Amino acid sequence: MDNRKLQSVKEFESYRTKIAESRKDEYPVIYVCGGTPCLAKGSRAVAHAFKKEIESQGLACKVELRHKVTGCQGFCSKGPVVSFGNDIVYLEVKPNHVPEIMEKTVKNAQVIDSLGYKDPQTKKRSASFEGIPFYSHQKGMILKGLREIDPLEIDDYIARGGYASLVRAFAMVPEEVIDLIAESGLRGRGGGGFPAGAKWKSCRAVDSEVRYVLCNGDEGDPGAFMDRSIMEGNPHAVIEGMIVGAWAVGAHHGYAYIRDEYPLAVKVMKKAVEDATAMGLLGRNILGTGFDFDIKITRGGGAFVCGESSALMRSIEGKVGEPRAKYIRSVEKGLYDLPTVLNNVETWTNVPLIVNNGAQWYRKTGTQGSPGTKVFSLAGKAVNTGLVEVPMGTTIRELVEKVGGGIRGGRKFKAVQTGGPSGGCIPESLADLPIDFDSLSKAGSMMGSGGIIVMDEATCMVDVAKYFISFLAEESCGKCSPCRDGLPRMKQILTDITEGRGKEGDIELLEELCEVLSYGALCGLGSSAPNPVLSTIKYFREEYEAHIRDKRCPAGVCRELVTFRIDADACTGCTLCAKQCPQACITGERKKAHVIDQSTCIKCGVCRDVCKFDAVRVE
Amino acid sequence: MEKITIKINGKDIEALKDQSVLEVARENGIAIPALCSHPEIETQAGSCRVCLVEVSQNGRSRVVTSCNYPVRGGIEVRTDTDLVRRIRKGVVELLLSRTPDAPVIQKLARENGIEGSRFFVDEAEHYRNRCIACSLCTQVCEEVVGVSAISMLDRGRDKAPGTPYLKPSQACIGCGACAYACPTEAISMIDEGEVRKIWGREFKMLTCSVCGKPYIPEAQVEWIVKTTGKDRSFFDKCPDHR
Ligand SMILES: Cc1cc2nc3c(=O)[nH]c(=O)nc-3n(C[C@H](O)[C@H](O)[C@H](O)COP(=O)(O)O)c2cc1C
Ligand code: SF4
Ligand code: SF4
Ligand code: FES
Ligand code: FES
Repeated sequence: MDNRKLQSVKEFESYRTKIAESRKDEYPVIYVCGGTPCLAKGSRAVAHAFKKEIESQGLACKVELRHKVTGCQGFCSKGPVVSFGNDIVYLEVKPNHVPEIMEKTVKNAQVIDSLGYKDPQTKKRSASFEGIPFYSHQKGMILKGLREIDPLEIDDYIARGGYASLVRAFAMVPEEVIDLIAESGLRGRGGGGFPAGAKWKSCRAVDSEVRYVLCNGDEGDPGAFMDRSIMEGNPHAVIEGMIVGAWAVGAHHGYAYIRDEYPLAVKVMKKAVEDATAMGLLGRNILGTGFDFDIKITRGGGAFVCGESSALMRSIEGKVGEPRAKYIRSVEKGLYDLPTVLNNVETWTNVPLIVNNGAQWYRKTGTQGSPGTKVFSLAGKAVNTGLVEVPMGTTIRELVEKVGGGIRGGRKFKAVQTGGPSGGCIPESLADLPIDFDSLSKAGSMMGSGGIIVMDEATCMVDVAKYFISFLAEESCGKCSPCRDGLPRMKQILTDITEGRGKEGDIELLEELCEVLSYGALCGLGSSAPNPVLSTIKYFREEYEAHIRDKRCPAGVCRELVTFRIDADACTGCTLCAKQCPQACITGERKKAHVIDQSTCIKCGVCRDVCKFDAVRVE
Repeated sequence: MEKITIKINGKDIEALKDQSVLEVARENGIAIPALCSHPEIETQAGSCRVCLVEVSQNGRSRVVTSCNYPVRGGIEVRTDTDLVRRIRKGVVELLLSRTPDAPVIQKLARENGIEGSRFFVDEAEHYRNRCIACSLCTQVCEEVVGVSAISMLDRGRDKAPGTPYLKPSQACIGCGACAYACPTEAISMIDEGEVRKIWGREFKMLTCSVCGKPYIPEAQVEWIVKTTGKDRSFFDKCPDHR
């Protein structure tokens, strides 16, 4: 492939013009989502149906079919998603819809509204990005690329303006690039929100022959898939950002550290690095500028803590991925004790946008303190879930109600959990809070890397705290005593509370332990672990008290604290629950009220789930 | 080495840049409890967290571990603020709940006004052993002895030092440096006549030609001879009779 190597910026520009010319979209392009959730819902069969249909209709040479090659299109809960450029989008597409789509949309440019989104309130359907609230309230700065680009084809990326920021960056001196990033106000998307420009600047300022630039693609938060989707859907954008960063700080070697459970991301990123190298965009003497930079892909160590910066660096060095004291910052002594810049996948993806459009343009989106957008994986009890991107400063309510379409099943919105396992819960009463780094921290949560879990009234907040503390106790590396020994204690206390063994003083003991962890732990895992506990105590203290004092779980979640009872007035005597109860402890005559024998009930909740008349009460 | 001045508990103190706060404090007779620090280890793990102090610089203050916090000109260290006391007490209480019968932990608990851990202690854990998983033994084995016979295995609460796959290690020379270094005397090393038992292996001991006392494992002598080129006959006598 060496013959593809571009020798100069000029050659690169003319190459782009050439492929862009040859690819003018004369024909409609069918984008079939190939994100992991859509694949699981059968998008491969849909793509296959398109392929067959195109072949049988003799359109093979006229329609550019893209399938499994676009990244996640965002609306995963309504997959498989099929879209046409940035206007038409069809949801829950089945292979049997394909002939109609071919006939109407592909050949005659007609929109099939019935394949669009059905508004739960108005029952109106819409198949345009603009007409679907899930999409229309988003801003696709980062995710746009995922919907349009074939991640396995570097030419596709270049044709759409990819790698253009290198030309601009190489025309500037490195310090100017750093100033530009600093002016843009870009802050790290991996958790801490540290200003990227300041980080680069202090790294460049260290006197050293060798510096490193790293990409954090470890994404350990359970349920989060922002970074995976970006790496799988638009890998060259990440690489482009890293090249600009390397130029700015003066690094010649980079590593992309990718979570071990992401084999597809590893594969796609590897191919992207190979292709970029073959084109002369990575490697020696990039585009004839004399600048050398290469990227190696490293697979993660398999533990949540490996995403922590010092642990990540040890892991790349081939050592055990354990954190260590960071009293000397990694911009001075990072990988192999040399100056290192570590940024998150999404952070890097923002860089080319800033270089191409300028700091002032970038600052037009988002807030003063947190410019730009943020990608979230919206999960939990919202009607619409998936990968979303909104300007910083969007309120929690807008995100939940507009993009998320409110709460499923008409239930009440109770809280959102943000920031991953060591984030916190923010109650509905604070839902008008703008989502940005500082507001979330002030409210006792954090931005984290962008997981948002929407919770409804049937969520027990003590149970939520227990869930996250259990996760963290499991993931503690065990190096420092407050985290290693404190988290299991917190888990024990929370378990006792949820199982009816809570005592007066437990809340205070939890608070004490939280202080020990936040000041005493060695790394961020331990020191931010108190968030789920402190935020739920702060906003839902009465729920803790109900568990401890009245041995009652107000949300009806904690099994040991609830009883299932059949409301005699609502029960129609249909006998369904009695038939389904695994303990056979429900009795009653047909058409007469049924009764649960409390002595053998195991509180599995099957009766409540099957009852069509909502007659089973949880108390 | 650059000389600097720092403040500890309000007193001006001379120090060398990059020394640890703990080292400087000790040189000046200021006591800070510490379990896992060791002067011959290059990078202090900073795992026990009992050596916490508060450091302020440019008006910002934070709680740090003194054993690996490098001193810089102008910093102000406080070893006994309310915050430090609270956090240290919490850490010691957690350690006590883990190793209730380790004398050094019991002593620390007393010094910090802890009467007994409030945390649930289950039997199995109670008598597990006295290890606080500080990793000092493994660091000494690697950095001071140079054989890396043991390492920290597992993670979280199950983290503990051990030989690879918990099988007797061929790399171990039976020197016992780990056991001597362990702050909580958690490592079992038994000398019985001419045999030393440690980490699941038995080592034959060399006896002193003067007093007849078994005093060093043969395997250790071989290791020293091999790595330093010292004459074997040097080990005929124990240090008391050389
Ligand atoms: C326990 C722990 C896990 C982390 N996991 C991740 C992760 O999976 N991905 C990530 O980008 N940052 C993670 N971080 C944050 C990183 O340490 C680091 O701050 C970040 O990668 C810096 O990049 P940024 O400034 O672009 O956000 C984690 C931090 C901690 C304490
Ligand atoms: S805080 Fe937890 S994860 Fe971090 S070093 Fe300590 S034990 Fe390991
Ligand atoms: S055996 Fe001793 S030195 Fe080794 S980890 Fe345990 S407490 Fe530390
Ligand atoms: S995977 Fe298809 S929309 Fe997310
Ligand atoms: S002595 Fe400093 S952390 Fe153990």
